[in-house]
Amino acid sequence: MSSPLEVVVTSDSGSQLWNSTVFDLYSGSSLLSYRGGNSSARTLSLLRGEFLLSGQFGKNFINVWEIQRKDQLQQKIVCPGVVTCVTASPDGLFLAAGIAEAIYLWEVCTGKLLSVLSRHYQDVTCLKFTDDGSHFISGGKDNLALVWSLCSVIQLDLNHTPDPRHVLSRHSLPITDLHCGLMGAQARVATASLDQTVKMWELSSGELLLSILFDVEIMSVTFDPCEYFLFCGGTDGNIFQVSLCSQSLSRDKSFQSDNDGNQVFKGHRNLVTCLSVSMDGTLLASGSHDETVRLWDVQSKQSIRCLAHKGPVTNVLITAAPANMFLPDSRPAVPLPRFSRHLHTSEGDGAESGEVCVRLAPCIQEEEETFLQKADRLSTLMNAVTDKSVFGDGENTKVRVAELEEEVQTLKKINKDLYDFSSQLITKPT
Amino acid sequence: MKSKKKKRQDDFQKVKLKVGKTKPKADNATNTNFRSKGIHLTEQLKRDKSGPTTHRQLGINELMSQLHHYNANVKHGALLGLKELLSVNPSLLEQHLSRVLSEVAAVFTDKDGNVRIVATRVLRFIAQSVPAERVGPFFPLLSAHLSCAMTHIETGIQEDAMKILDVLLEHYPALLAARPAVLLTNFLELISHRQSSSGAKKTQDTKGRTWALSVSLNRTVTSQQWRLSVLLRLGRFLQAVVEEKPVDQGDTSVGTEGVFGCSGEDRLAPLFLNWEELTYSKIGVKVYEHSGAKPTPRSTFKLRPEMDAGAAVTENLDSAEAVQSFAATLVPLLLEVWVEASASESPWDNNEGAHLLTADAMSVMFQVLSILQLLRKLAPQQEHQDALDAWFSKEYLADFKQHFMKNFPYGAQDTPKHRRKIDLKRSKQTAAIPGLIVEPLALNIIICQVMVSLSQRQELDRETDVDWLMLLRTFVRDTLGNGMKLSSRQLHMLLGTVWKMVLTQRSKTVTDDLLAAVYIYYKQRNLTLQTRSLLLSFYSKLYLQEQGHAHIARSKVLCRWLASLPVQLSQLGHRNPTLSARLIQSIHAAASRGNKDLLNSLQTHACKLYDPQEGVVVLLPAESQIQMVQLLYFLPKMPQSLLANLSCCCTAGRISAGLATSMIRIVHLRSSLSCWSVGSQEAALQDVDFFSFLFSTLTGFSFAKLASLQDAGEEEALPCSPLFPISLYPVPLEQFTHHWDIVEEVCHCLETLGSKSQCYDILQNGICKYLIKLEVVPDSMVAGLLRAVSRLVDLSVLTMEPVLRFLSKCCLSLIALVVTLQQEEPAETNHKREAIWSACVLVLSSVPRLLRMVLQMMRVGDLSEEELPQLGQILSMLLQHAPLHNQLLANAALLQEIIQNLTRYNRAATREQWVTDLLYCYSLTVAHGSSAHRGNLGLRDMY
Repeated sequence: MSSPLEVVVTSDSGSQLWNSTVFDLYSGSSLLSYRGGNSSARTLSLLRGEFLLSGQFGKNFINVWEIQRKDQLQQKIVCPGVVTCVTASPDGLFLAAGIAEAIYLWEVCTGKLLSVLSRHYQDVTCLKFTDDGSHFISGGKDNLALVWSLCSVIQLDLNHTPDPRHVLSRHSLPITDLHCGLMGAQARVATASLDQTVKMWELSSGELLLSILFDVEIMSVTFDPCEYFLFCGGTDGNIFQVSLCSQSLSRDKSFQSDNDGNQVFKGHRNLVTCLSVSMDGTLLASGSHDETVRLWDVQSKQSIRCLAHKGPVTNVLITAAPANMFLPDSRPAVPLPRFSRHLHTSEGDGAESGEVCVRLAPCIQEEEETFLQKADRLSTLMNAVTDKSVFGDGENTKVRVAELEEEVQTLKKINKDLYDFSSQLITKPT
Repeated sequence: MKSKKKKRQDDFQKVKLKVGKTKPKADNATNTNFRSKGIHLTEQLKRDKSGPTTHRQLGINELMSQLHHYNANVKHGALLGLKELLSVNPSLLEQHLSRVLSEVAAVFTDKDGNVRIVATRVLRFIAQSVPAERVGPFFPLLSAHLSCAMTHIETGIQEDAMKILDVLLEHYPALLAARPAVLLTNFLELISHRQSSSGAKKTQDTKGRTWALSVSLNRTVTSQQWRLSVLLRLGRFLQAVVEEKPVDQGDTSVGTEGVFGCSGEDRLAPLFLNWEELTYSKIGVKVYEHSGAKPTPRSTFKLRPEMDAGAAVTENLDSAEAVQSFAATLVPLLLEVWVEASASESPWDNNEGAHLLTADAMSVMFQVLSILQLLRKLAPQQEHQDALDAWFSKEYLADFKQHFMKNFPYGAQDTPKHRRKIDLKRSKQTAAIPGLIVEPLALNIIICQVMVSLSQRQELDRETDVDWLMLLRTFVRDTLGNGMKLSSRQLHMLLGTVWKMVLTQRSKTVTDDLLAAVYIYYKQRNLTLQTRSLLLSFYSKLYLQEQGHAHIARSKVLCRWLASLPVQLSQLGHRNPTLSARLIQSIHAAASRGNKDLLNSLQTHACKLYDPQEGVVVLLPAESQIQMVQLLYFLPKMPQSLLANLSCCCTAGRISAGLATSMIRIVHLRSSLSCWSVGSQEAALQDVDFFSFLFSTLTGFSFAKLASLQDAGEEEALPCSPLFPISLYPVPLEQFTHHWDIVEEVCHCLETLGSKSQCYDILQNGICKYLIKLEVVPDSMVAGLLRAVSRLVDLSVLTMEPVLRFLSKCCLSLIALVVTLQQEEPAETNHKREAIWSACVLVLSSVPRLLRMVLQMMRVGDLSEEELPQLGQILSMLLQHAPLHNQLLANAALLQEIIQNLTRYNRAATREQWVTDLLYCYSLTVAHGSSAHRGNLGLRDMY
């Protein structure tokens, strides 16, 4: 059997035997199940495709499995309080968890606790990273959703408490779920709330784009990858589909109702806790408190498959199948360190313990440049063909080589200066 | 020579006259045989019929041409005529607007004073009748003429230009403010002159300043007053510019609350939809502009640093540098104006009188300060404003301190000695320049505002700042604390000052001190709505700022204020919905942040707020009701009394059914049975209480009401009869629909609670305990009960006998009611009938024993003649309902007996229609049953 492309990872809060289960998205057959405890809602998360994380239901630790070892926990990350939500950044460098009112942010490669953000007034309910990992969004029971810029949060400067980039404060009851679309810092964010609305925000400006009032409280929300549709799971078990780019230009449509993409998926009998859409946007998975996970065909709005569980479903996640998942002998490329419980103090700045703190992903820190760089690269790519045809090889190449050599010289010089400076700094007796 | 002679002879040739011949006609004889006729130059005499004219019969074209006349009197007359003409015929103005404007503007700079005055009057008239958007195209011309007049060499024209400016400012502030740069320079030139560069070099002490105050000797007013009037206009002009600024600053206009350091809410208009509209696709959603590829221009991410507008510094005021450079020119001038004014006012330099100012000096100072204040606001964006503040405090703090703060709380000086003489003069002047009288209070307040904006958050300067900040603080505290009468604008400014001080000084004592003063003011009885809401928004915004400002969060006054909110809300009642909405908003914000003081206070007053009779929740308009219901979520505890109130609220019909259902859901969410729990949140109510809440909501009638129904009984209710084994009280249709929606929600709640059978047990216990004894029951209640039973019933749970009996009575009565309703008014009660019928049928099919009991209750013998057809109809309806077939067949013997009795007792001679129908239905059912005979056997085992 060839290994599946996409899998559904689910967990429920009632099962005695296993914590979370992996199903094949298309056949619905159960492939794997991970042992140990039960996960609470919105805590199931994949890290780098090598580890599976989930917050223990009602307890104060996070379970970590290596993705190929389903029987045994790799470690338990003990936290200071009950874990309400866990998420890992898409590049696998950072791990964020909501614990009571605070958001804890770990660096995965060292296991250090980088910062504790206690800006919410009440429990944090959900956390999501943008797809480029440059920002993350947290929603809480205090009706607020906060947009954090990752680079501002992980500054070592401890006496300066980081501020969120935006405060999204138009909900009037606790936020139950949020989903962040694609496109990095330009993404749209959808938040669902007990005040019966789903609101859509622009991440870059923090402004409200759209607010939809429903008849029932909305407990879960998601987009499809193209952001054509917004799916909202309500307390009455219905899943509402809102078309975000209706082309209502045609004039003869007015008599046919319900064909404009605003439709309801009916089938669950209790509140829909979690939603997830497959990569191609054709399948929707939903987990409900009626102890089932249903797979829906988005086009025809039919329930294709119903996966029974032993308790209220807490997490449903459609994801590309990680490479290691079905290879029992494989092991993670980089082992996971122990996660620390306490805030990393910046005394001595790493010099004493003999380690140098290296921040990965520099592009995240200098975001303003990256867009420019991208544009530059794009234009060079586009111009490459014409360059080649217009300027022949001969002389131009020489000139070009000379230019490049010059640049290398400059860069070397800068590097040397940097090195000198830092070595001076380190060797200087304090 | 010869020829000449000859000619002469020719000239005097003698004419010979002969007798008998007619005399030749003389050469110069007049030929009289012509006729004369009058020549009419119609063009000249014709009056201008092409359009309306003035009383001097002058049309608009003449008037226009007369404006170019060299004689001042003619021009004067023409302007007066123009005004007359235009006021009589407004349509002319529309046709000739462009010409009229250009001609009238051209005489702004006329040498004759009277002409200018009339021109101003005409302009005012035009401005009153033409809206700004129509003047827009001609405005460049107008402003060019205005500039011309302002910079004219004759002082008289300059002075009149001010009046023209007044008119334009009054009517077209937006147009005037669109191009501020030229006018600003003109203003400067009015009170000062640019020093030539060589002159500037010579006078080193002016620090490269190129402008210096000028004194002109031949004005009719003193230079002091002249400057004042210019400053007044400059102030108004800047105000217009600030108000016109395109960016988000809603905070600069007078009445709004944004001043407290909060930028405008949002600038993008979000779409607000609801699901019903969406489903019927009335609205197309288009969230993504440019197909979503581009971020909106509001994005806070900057692709590249903004280009600096280097060259165009003075062209526009839309960059921080431009504003700063303008300020750098203007501020020294302003200071100089003030210094001169103060020097001339008090030549004697005694200390005790230094803080007393005459009215003139006061108004000069007021203008100077308000211009300073406006300059700050000119900065295009918030961050620029901060930078500008920093720059101000760096450059001018020392000057300001010296000049303004030296004698800070200023008072008005009484000048009783030479009052007489001056009074006349002054009254004339003040009449000429309106808005000149300035109270010392307003002056002091504006000093506070200007100075506080300069106080920076610098730890180093703290010590040096302290003394003057102390002064300001004392003043603000005293002013607010004394309960003085303040206009809302003054209050607004004072609150802005307090806001700034609290945020910059960051000390707990200062905060508490100031806030206490505000609180004293707040607690006054008779404040106007505007003032009250201003204070409210001040506090609530301050509260929202608490994050990161520990001194605000810990402020006792703020806590006290929060705690007092629920009381105020309950006392306010329905008298002022807008104020209540504000209060609720503040409460909501604090509650969502879990503020202890507020929650405690809310808890204690919850019962009063949610009272079903006079609680706020039922009195306020719908939007506030929604908020009140949402507020329930944050209550830490819901005691029984509160739940009782809530249940009454739900059922009393004073809040909409949709809101009532969301209230039920919110109570559900806060119970421990709720399925949504994140983190550790304690349940607000006990399970027992929750069930009793649901049950009483399901019943829809309070115990007392039911009891009163029993007593009142018979006249309203349908009386007991064999077909109505229990007496039904028909509720109005509206109430029935309302209750039905709630019943559905309660049922949904009960279904999702967990074990259905236990819920059912609780339900039947409730019925058994409270409802069985009733003899008169409302139809909505029993229908709701039947609905709940049918949705919850579980075959594993045995229904108690008395409950079953009660339900069967209800069921029969309801079905009978359906039949009577069908006969009476079919159209209106459609919904109600269907609801009742579906509830009955569902419960009959899901509880088989109930059906049997109902059938047993149909004793044909007890029925009167008229009731027989009704019973027949009931039976045929039941028989027609397909899902009931199996159950009916199981009771075939009973059914047969009833039908036999019916035909027997029906003593009518002919077989009536209903009997035929019934028999037909029965035969169909039986035929169907015999084909499915085997299924029946299984069914029979159930009994």
